[in-house]
Amino acid sequence: MTRLYLSNDTSARAAGTERLAQAWASAPGLELVRTSARGAFFLEPLVERDLPGGRMAWSNATPDDLPNILAGIGGTPVNRIAFLADQQRVTFANFGMTRPLALEDYGSLGGWQGLERAGSLSPDAIIGELKTSRLRGRGGAAFPVWSKWQVAKDAAADQKYVVANADEGDAGTYCDRMIMEGEPFRLIEGMLICARAIGATRGFIYCRQEYPAAARTLREAIAAAERAGWLTDERGRFHLEVFVGAGSYVCGEETALLESLEGRRGVVRAKPPYPALSGLYGKPTIVSNVLTFATVPSILARGGDWHASLGTEGSRGTMALQIGGRVKQPGLVEIPFGATLAEVIERFGGGMAAGARFKAVQIGGPLGSLFPASRLDIPICYDAFSKAGAILGHGGIVVYDDGTDMVELARHFMAFTADESCGKCTPCRIGSVRSREILEQLQAGRSRPGDLDLLADLGETMKGASLCALGQRAPYPVLTAIEHFPDEFR
Amino acid sequence: MSEPVLAAILTRHRTSPPNILHTLLEIQETLGSVSPGAIPEIARSLDVTEADVAGVLSYYPELRTAKPGRHVIRVCLGESCMANHGATVLARVRAHLKIEVGETTRDGRFTLERVYCVGNCAVGPSLMVDGEVVGRVSPDQVPALLDSYP
Ligand code: SF4
Ligand code: FES
Repeated sequence: MTRLYLSNDTSARAAGTERLAQAWASAPGLELVRTSARGAFFLEPLVERDLPGGRMAWSNATPDDLPNILAGIGGTPVNRIAFLADQQRVTFANFGMTRPLALEDYGSLGGWQGLERAGSLSPDAIIGELKTSRLRGRGGAAFPVWSKWQVAKDAAADQKYVVANADEGDAGTYCDRMIMEGEPFRLIEGMLICARAIGATRGFIYCRQEYPAAARTLREAIAAAERAGWLTDERGRFHLEVFVGAGSYVCGEETALLESLEGRRGVVRAKPPYPALSGLYGKPTIVSNVLTFATVPSILARGGDWHASLGTEGSRGTMALQIGGRVKQPGLVEIPFGATLAEVIERFGGGMAAGARFKAVQIGGPLGSLFPASRLDIPICYDAFSKAGAILGHGGIVVYDDGTDMVELARHFMAFTADESCGKCTPCRIGSVRSREILEQLQAGRSRPGDLDLLADLGETMKGASLCALGQRAPYPVLTAIEHFPDEFR
Repeated sequence: MSEPVLAAILTRHRTSPPNILHTLLEIQETLGSVSPGAIPEIARSLDVTEADVAGVLSYYPELRTAKPGRHVIRVCLGESCMANHGATVLARVRAHLKIEVGETTRDGRFTLERVYCVGNCAVGPSLMVDGEVVGRVSPDQVPALLDSYP
């Protein structure tokens, strides 16, 4: 029996692993094992096999490659794939090796060690470990994780909640999807550690509707973890449920997400009160994104000091970057904070796709700033980005080539904001529509003098007077496009 | 709308507090859409106002008040797909199906929507047909791809 490994991740399937699995389904003497994804998506469909010298990989495989794979001809040792070897993976260390729903795979590669360690610690000691680790939320606001946990832990309440924000809405990002589809137990383990620390007995995973495979895998993973007893400790059972959203970008904002979870319109709540004190149904609630929870198990298992030893002064640990757009090697990259944008695009992205020339890169999703070639020396960490008026957000990196029409791109951003605005505050609701109209006039060659100043004014008003990040941040990609490519806006 | 089915769903969702979104999503899953005509009955059953129900129904893009076509095709216009010419893919889909975003073909085969990212950015440009992601779509592939759906 020859065993071949093929990823079952949505993107790996879309790249062709599913086609291969179908083509080879009845090949004699073959066992196909469906795994999580390595994240080297430019190599997918990627087929792997254990040989005496170690794990070998055949990239961009077609059904006709089977004879060579079986004969061991061609192929590259996995540990010599530079894209992977140059990374420093922690959260994604097992990706590509484990079967997503196999508890034994997760356990044999270090899974549950964080939870077991947490089980031997007091809630304060767990929170102390996070404080030492200096972990900041990976979702966008980059708030120190321990301090939210402390607030929720100290609050007296008959019910507390742990909520995973799996509404990975920023275009260009997919690391949460990979975790949910590839190693769902890591997310569950992180949530269980949080529940233990703050004294919560219920949890929800709010998964965006665009990720049906993630929701399916999570539900099965919860059932499997439950059967194996992981959801029960001496305090009783932790009730964990998956809730699938209904297609609203704003529901990625934590208070809108809570409204939606309660079944109402996903409109942003004014803060304070913060969810850690008054969240779901008015009870203390920790809301963190999937990547944040998935980072917690290693911190407990290896210690907060270890985590704090990685990265830069204000940004400790590793960051999951998702490279996309017009690069040669799109995929997931986990490295410590501090590398420059240029390094990441060159070393991991492999430079530009064939025939494409660099024009700009956008980081942090649809609300993130654009950087031209001259600004690529910025280090990837929270402080450098906030000093530049930019955000790291969810770590999405989208590279645009010289064929990109910046006015059309700017219009696209404002059309997106106008579509997705929840309508609660006027600057965002009206400002986005007005900005889109101005850009459409410009495209139609009918702009009037002063229009660009008006656009800048609208942008400043939206930044200052909107309630949530959508309105506050939407002007950034547009204004940075105008700043760096002024000629196109004349 | 088949009334006993609706009534059965509503009975299951008479929780305290009620969850309007949950209820509407399940109605849609079972019946294909949420008919505005059912709002009064839903409101009564959940003990909320009709405005509450109508508000949730109109807020979420994924809640439908009319049944979609046999296949729902959603073309990604997220930034990574935009950078890889997702807009051209969308143009080809529109041209081939002769409908605009938000419309359903006259034969009821396809409803066309756009989506901002399906998490397949590294294998884009992407589109999603009935929940399955299709990646590395070249505009020239579009006609054959669409024609492969019954
Ligand atoms: S900024 Fe926009 S999306 Fe955010 S609360 Fe205001 S209107 Fe809603
Ligand atoms: S931007 Fe299209 S799949 Fe992410």
